[in-house]
Amino acid sequence: MLKIEGLSVNYGSLRALTNVDLEVQDQGILHGVIGPNGAGKSTLLDAVCGRRRPTAGSVRYRGEDITGRSVAWRRRHGMSRSFQRTSIFPDLSVREQLVLIAQHLGDDRLDDIIRLMDLGAYLEQKAGRIAYGVQRRVDVALALIGRPSILLMDEPGAGLSAVETLRLFEHLRELVSEQKIIAVVVEHDVEAVFACCGMITVLDLGCHLATGVPSEVRKDSRVIAAYLGSAA
Amino acid sequence: MIALLIANSLALASLLIMLASGLALMYGLRDVINFGHGALYMLGAYLGYTVAQVSGFWLALVIVPILLAVVGMVLELLVLRPLKARSHIEVALVTFGLGIILGQIIIFIYGGVARSVEAPTMLSGSLTLLGLSYPVYRVFLILMGLGSCALLAIWLRFTRSGLFVRAVSQDPSVARMMGINSDRLSLMVTSLSAAFAGIAGVLAGPYLSIDPGMDVVMIVDCLIIVVIGGTGSIAGAIVAALLFGFVQVAGSVFLPNVAALVPYVLLMVVLLIAPGGIGRGRVLS
Amino acid sequence: MTNRAPIQKNLCDSSMTESASSSWRVPATGAAGVMLFGFGGLLPAYLASDFTLKVANEGLLLGMLALSVAFLMSEAGLVALGVASVYGSAGYLFAIGMSEWGLTPTIAVVFAFFALIAYSGVLGALIVRTNPLAFMMLTLAAGEMVSHAVMLEAVHDYTGGADGLVVNFKGAILGVQAADFVNPRYFWPIGWTAVWLIGVTLWGVARSRLGATLRAVRQNEERMRFSGFNTYLPRVIAYVLVNAVAAVAGLLHVLNTGFVSPESLGLGVSTNALVAALMGGTAGSIGPLAGGLIFAFAQDEFGARGATQLLTGVAIVLFIVVLPRGVVGSVVAVLRRIAPGLVWLRGKA
Repeated sequence: MLKIEGLSVNYGSLRALTNVDLEVQDQGILHGVIGPNGAGKSTLLDAVCGRRRPTAGSVRYRGEDITGRSVAWRRRHGMSRSFQRTSIFPDLSVREQLVLIAQHLGDDRLDDIIRLMDLGAYLEQKAGRIAYGVQRRVDVALALIGRPSILLMDEPGAGLSAVETLRLFEHLRELVSEQKIIAVVVEHDVEAVFACCGMITVLDLGCHLATGVPSEVRKDSRVIAAYLGSAA
Repeated sequence: MIALLIANSLALASLLIMLASGLALMYGLRDVINFGHGALYMLGAYLGYTVAQVSGFWLALVIVPILLAVVGMVLELLVLRPLKARSHIEVALVTFGLGIILGQIIIFIYGGVARSVEAPTMLSGSLTLLGLSYPVYRVFLILMGLGSCALLAIWLRFTRSGLFVRAVSQDPSVARMMGINSDRLSLMVTSLSAAFAGIAGVLAGPYLSIDPGMDVVMIVDCLIIVVIGGTGSIAGAIVAALLFGFVQVAGSVFLPNVAALVPYVLLMVVLLIAPGGIGRGRVLS
Repeated sequence: MTNRAPIQKNLCDSSMTESASSSWRVPATGAAGVMLFGFGGLLPAYLASDFTLKVANEGLLLGMLALSVAFLMSEAGLVALGVASVYGSAGYLFAIGMSEWGLTPTIAVVFAFFALIAYSGVLGALIVRTNPLAFMMLTLAAGEMVSHAVMLEAVHDYTGGADGLVVNFKGAILGVQAADFVNPRYFWPIGWTAVWLIGVTLWGVARSRLGATLRAVRQNEERMRFSGFNTYLPRVIAYVLVNAVAAVAGLLHVLNTGFVSPESLGLGVSTNALVAALMGGTAGSIGPLAGGLIFAFAQDEFGARGATQLLTGVAIVLFIVVLPRGVVGSVVAVLRRIAPGLVWLRGKA
């Protein structure tokens, strides 16, 4: 469903991603992307969702080359993204922003998302005034509207405690499995990733190191050397 | 003929560079557009006129920038800093209002008439360069322009504060997180920007005219340059100033009937082709 | 699971606006509005002097300009510093249409209006992409461009240069005679009606999906794109809309005064519109109208031109720093504290 071929992204002379090939087909499971700082994880998401123009390579979605498509187009066609730095609408209430997006994308079943993200108690409050953890959940909720078929999540647990992150991941795993979504999750919390993801991709210094099920990745010598070395 | 065109463009561009780079610096650092920048320029011009009448042009060139730097500090400490929490638009509007107030005060003091300033004897007349006769004053202007570019480049490249300015211009959030004392930096940049506006004002006296409408004309020109250059990009602003100067001068020579509109056409063309401006600035939302 | 039904019902029902939940409020507001409109339209013509009406008419027109500036600011977060260029150009195009192309007054009005719609569409398409600060700079530049264009030697025969144009026409437009437009007593109801129509329209747009989209784009343009919205088109539409309002105001202005000059489209008028919007308060429709009227009378009071421009600058600084909600906005805020039941008094009440 999602095929990345030879993807390279340069910021001037800085090579953030070099020749990355990746195919994500598994629906209904979380596909984690991990790697040390500077590995290019966020850049990968940026390139896939259209926020960054790749320097080379292509992104294919359902067989179609979407490398030139706009961000809004991708969203309308089922590719959704959540943000590392919480990106919500501070002056709108939680309900107002969810409804606004839902009306636009033609989704009338917000209650599932609200239940899943546990936002029932905060609906009438202005998003700028709620706790950070709840804001993160609103950020994710906005990405879930419209029954996307691909979900790209950039460190959904950023700023949350280990417990909150784990709980978020469990909710996501439930949703993704229910709706057969392809979910690519960039995350720093290696524990959560290994616990909840069905597949894991490891990046290092802009290059693709390994992709496989958690148990395999854990044993991969290159991965251990580059990343898990001290932690494993 | 073409040499004359280029020389005149450089002379005009020199003035514009001094003004536009100050504006671009402030925007790059703080996301603040000082809409009163034209009024500062006008203040510099009228003050320069007064000081020149009393103690001569050269002293004016020294004193006025210092006075304007003080005005810049006042602007920073009494206006920009207290309003740090406000949106950029609100701050821009406040500078717009202050610019109007300053302009009106100047008109009130000096009367709404145009003044002329004589170039100092050392800089009057013309000299022959490469077989062409050219006004000395304009050569002086070009040298001043080059000099300020050089100073700016040296400051940005080789000093600590210059490094900080470049860092903040590229990525404000990261740079601020790194604990750069942006308050002190802002004070420096605002005073510098005002001082340069002052120098430009003094220099403008013998070259252009000193009249009550000069603040509006200059702020519009500067804003166009900053947008073409890519707001926040100082290199872009310099290139844009050169381009603007050339287009303006060429326009007045080749298309005198519509000369006033030529810079605007340039602006629209740039917006069409490169909406973000020439340099790597932050014009686009 | 038990929460399911109520949440779904509320979410599907809710619109982006504050709905008046109490049953008597909407008709009461409507009745109050109609009364205000009726009395306001008819009484002053009987009670006030010609001169007062003349100033008040200026206030109405300025109020219209202020409405357009205020709408763009509060909905899209954009400051348009060049509204006067459309306002004044309407007068010029009207005059030129009649004198150069022999258009009838009515056709000339229609021509001027649509020409300016087209102009603002093109300009908006070019400049709306930039960030709000750059947008503000560009509207200022565009306004000055028009000022320069009108003063060019090349078009002096058309525009009269610095002297401006005296614009007379014979006949009627939409049944209203030329002389009626110029008469302060007759113009007041016309202007008043126009302002109300414009105010209600803009208020309606603000409450519509377009308004909600604009406000959301203003808060987080990127997220809107990432939610599948075209963030560019709504802003262009808003820009054209406010310029349409400015064009209408400009046409009424030239019909009323019979004269147009470079000052009509200059930075001064644009600034006055901005001040009027800030003074009145940019949220809602009553504020800018009130601001326009207040400004017109204040300007009349403070006579000498120099003083008014200085006070304009002072007013801008004052109303942004000290009174960001403007006069009307602050009054409403105070009223809300005193009488919480008046909470629905937002926008056109």
